[in-house]
Amino acid sequence: MDGARTLILLAIVAASSAASGNKLISPRTKIAVARSPLMVNPSIEWNKLDARPGRNAETWTLDGDALNDVTFYGGIPAGKTLFAEVDKRNRPLPRVSATMLLTDIPPLFENSYRIALDTPLMNIDSVEPMAFAGSKGVRFTYSFTRQNEEVHRRGEGRAAMIGGKLYMITYEAPILHYFDKSLAAFRQLADSASF
Amino acid sequence: MEADEEERVLRDSRFVITDLKLNAYVRNIFCRTVGDERCKNVRIYILRIPHLNATMYPNGMMTIWSGLLLRVRSEAELGAVLGHEFAHFELRHSLKGFQAQRSTGDWLTWTALLGVNMQSAMIGSFYSFTRDQEKQADLLGLEYLAKSVYPSSVAANIWDRTMAEQDAAEAGRKRKARHSYSAGIFASHPTDLTRSKYLREAAAKQADAGDPGEAAYREGMASWLPEFLHDQIKLNDFGGSEYLLQQLAGDNWTSELLYTRAQLYRLRGNPRDLVSAAQFYQQAIDKGFSRADARRDLGLTLLRAQQIESGRMALQRYLDENPEAPDKAMIAALLAD
Repeated sequence: MDGARTLILLAIVAASSAASGNKLISPRTKIAVARSPLMVNPSIEWNKLDARPGRNAETWTLDGDALNDVTFYGGIPAGKTLFAEVDKRNRPLPRVSATMLLTDIPPLFENSYRIALDTPLMNIDSVEPMAFAGSKGVRFTYSFTRQNEEVHRRGEGRAAMIGGKLYMITYEAPILHYFDKSLAAFRQLADSASF
Repeated sequence: MEADEEERVLRDSRFVITDLKLNAYVRNIFCRTVGDERCKNVRIYILRIPHLNATMYPNGMMTIWSGLLLRVRSEAELGAVLGHEFAHFELRHSLKGFQAQRSTGDWLTWTALLGVNMQSAMIGSFYSFTRDQEKQADLLGLEYLAKSVYPSSVAANIWDRTMAEQDAAEAGRKRKARHSYSAGIFASHPTDLTRSKYLREAAAKQADAGDPGEAAYREGMASWLPEFLHDQIKLNDFGGSEYLLQQLAGDNWTSELLYTRAQLYRLRGNPRDLVSAAQFYQQAIDKGFSRADARRDLGLTLLRAQQIESGRMALQRYLDENPEAPDKAMIAALLAD
């Protein structure tokens, strides 16, 4: 197990060093995320990945995005997708609507994942009210498995519609070991969200 | 053999549907189509992948995708597709393709493709058959059907409906129908139109009869239908999904189909879709839809459509009738606004 983990970590280090613009995020400093007015204040050091899932999105990780992935969605406007289309012609992603209720956010996220990752093994496991960045919001949990990988991942998200735009933070990691390991760090980030 | 390694991975996959009853039912249809002697050489894996496909590997492994089970209308139609796949095996097409790939292919590409054992796009590209092989398999598959309890005349229906579904999907995306009526030089499969035509001609020559088993198929799939529909409507393919629902319903919209149709319209979420969705939810409830979700989803749809009072009433009723609902806090929060 340790050997395997070392190998995985080495692979991630190699992958990270190949991508030029990854950046360390200093703790205890308010920082704007996802090219938006949304701010967070991390209590520990994170790595911001250079590759963005979409124009208004940004990903942070601790050990590599396959092991723990926090993604910020910074005010996705009506008519836009959560992340970049993978195959717009044959598998178009659903789009944000300004009239969405809080309860419409988790299904939008679920269906975007189902289409982009080409998997029906993606489910929203719970939905409850929770303030996000000072607004009425939703907290949801989810779990999914991508095709060709078989790793069972769990996730947690917080989201709100603010001024007709969708703001959201999600965290996901393999259920085995990693999800629990970094959950507190994610929750601290999500709790710190503000404008 | 590499297919054995793929099977080893597939056997433990989370995508495999392990329901014994469903597996036994599907296997029985396959055996009735090709006969027990041929059937015993094949190992079937039903995969939860919401697209129309089945695959046959050179080692006797067959995969059947849930999107196929959702789309065929009778035991005979499923038998037709599975017979076609088995025909590739009996004709040793995979092995011929395999050898061709090995002699001309690049080793690195080859192993890379094996690594992505289940990706819908890849599976076709590696174990793809030539257009002639597809036609041979079509005609041999039809012969199995003609000799079985099932009528071979159904084989063409699948391709007719596939074309109609593709047209509906394109129309739903505000595009023109694009399925090609003549196969391009690089296409490995005959066009659906060509297929439908020669299958109909071959079936007319066979002139066999039999019960296609439509009612039995509906019964056999009943417990999985809601799951497969659930996967389908989340693909953001409004036109194709609406076509499938209409095909499934015919002139009998069950409460399950009405509920699914409501979900489909609500997901698209245009103002007029929300009006339609609310009507379908109400019709599902009136027809005795069994799960409380319909009342909640009706309420949420009405709220989003700005019919605040009736939406709140439906949500309040959902909470009253389901005091232990797992999402009660979320619904109560919406009501408190």
